[in-house]
Amino acid sequence: MNDRLIPWVLPFTVFLLWFLSSEMEIVPLYLFPHPFEVAQSGWSYIFGKIGDEPYAGRFVYDLAASCTRISLGFGLAVMTALPLGLMSGRNRFVHRLLGTSVDGLRAVPGITWLPLAMVWFGIGIKTTVFLVGMAAFFPIYLNSATGAREVDPLLLQAGAMMGVNRFNAVFRILIPAAMPSIVTGLRLGLGISWAYLVLGELTGVPNGLGAIIMDARMVGRTDIIVVGIFLVSVIGRLSDLLLKLLLRFCFKNAL
Amino acid sequence: MLCDKNVFLGVENLGKQFPGNGTPLTVLENINFEAEDGEVISIVGRSGCGKSTLLKILAGFLKPDSGSVFFKGSRVHRPGPDRCVVFQEDALFPWLTAGENIAFGLKRQIRDGSRIEREVDRFLDLMGLSQFRDYLPREISGGMKQRVALARVLILNPEILLMDEPFAALDAQTREEMQELLLELWGQFSHTIVFVTHDVGEAVAISDRVIVMDKNPGRIKDVINIELERPRRREDVNFMRFYSRLYKLLRD
Repeated sequence: MNDRLIPWVLPFTVFLLWFLSSEMEIVPLYLFPHPFEVAQSGWSYIFGKIGDEPYAGRFVYDLAASCTRISLGFGLAVMTALPLGLMSGRNRFVHRLLGTSVDGLRAVPGITWLPLAMVWFGIGIKTTVFLVGMAAFFPIYLNSATGAREVDPLLLQAGAMMGVNRFNAVFRILIPAAMPSIVTGLRLGLGISWAYLVLGELTGVPNGLGAIIMDARMVGRTDIIVVGIFLVSVIGRLSDLLLKLLLRFCFKNAL
Repeated sequence: MLCDKNVFLGVENLGKQFPGNGTPLTVLENINFEAEDGEVISIVGRSGCGKSTLLKILAGFLKPDSGSVFFKGSRVHRPGPDRCVVFQEDALFPWLTAGENIAFGLKRQIRDGSRIEREVDRFLDLMGLSQFRDYLPREISGGMKQRVALARVLILNPEILLMDEPFAALDAQTREEMQELLLELWGQFSHTIVFVTHDVGEAVAISDRVIVMDKNPGRIKDVINIELERPRRREDVNFMRFYSRLYKLLRD
């Protein structure tokens, strides 16, 4: 079988089963709509003209809102978790100082922060950004710490001998050498960011991909719920690919 | 006594201990020797005799517990491009190509990009690496990697080359090729070489002087001058004589 086709076998099979079960109405359509109806709603949601239909043409605005929240939350997580992780991987004192607390906080499921975040930040962008940042922090922190810890001391010695000072060694040797682990952390962090984005947006914000799903539930539009789920999966996957491409462009041995 | 400027490399009463379980382990004890400019010195000894530790102290990676190392009149206390190390294992930067690895140290010294390119080309050519310029370390053989490791330090024009069993992981044939290459380069650049090895044949093939080390604690057992003309041939009777003399010294 053609190698490029293999990844599509499973989605196609699922689609076929979905199509058949809808055609034969094994599952009532109000619980799980027909694929064609979903496709039609999706088309209208993405390309339709605003006002034609309740959800028509809103995709661009929802995407923009969600991407802003993801960028802020994920960006915040990267900016804190990466330096702290690298430091804790290289410095015993930092590791002792942060290790137990980080592990303790990590044991708290992300969703537990939701009530407190709502009290602190109200409903809106801040709560979502907080949840996303909180969730993305841990995989990035842990993986960059592991990466930094496992850098072969020989590489740092080689750098020192060729005239790299301690400050430059961080950027010239430590980060590139730890890059494979850092990439793993970033990818896991970005993946979980999408999960917490949707969670944050389920709490009553007017726009965003999570909001549209929750909104559609209240008016019984399962077709739009399915469209939302599908789009989150596609965009999540695309953002992962984008991250991979970006990192491969910057660091040859990253992946 | 050694601190005078006439001594190129001087090692004085060097001692080093590692903290063991309870009792500290003496790795090096009372090490004294000198090296002249342009000399090739080998340090041979069984594993655990502290020869690699000694090399790390010469490089400035480790601090001795007693005694000191002097290089051209000043005390060695940190690593630097005047005393470059070729490591046993693969210490190339895996994220850089062969060419970029060779350029790495030079980029810390000069900014002129086209001059760096020219120098890298020269050393790639010298090492027979020209067609491997854009390969990553994981894509080339062990022998090629050690050529890159040698090139990335020679390009810095070091005064001393410190080599920590650099060819130990290579197959016998490649190892002899690398020994010949090293001597060829030595003829051209005439830097001082301190070469750590456990291979007696290797020591006889390349050295002016061989320092034989004892273990527990690591001490200098004997120093042997290899009075053989270069190029040396392993099947030569005199080569054999030095070989068996060193071999016996090591085994006793």
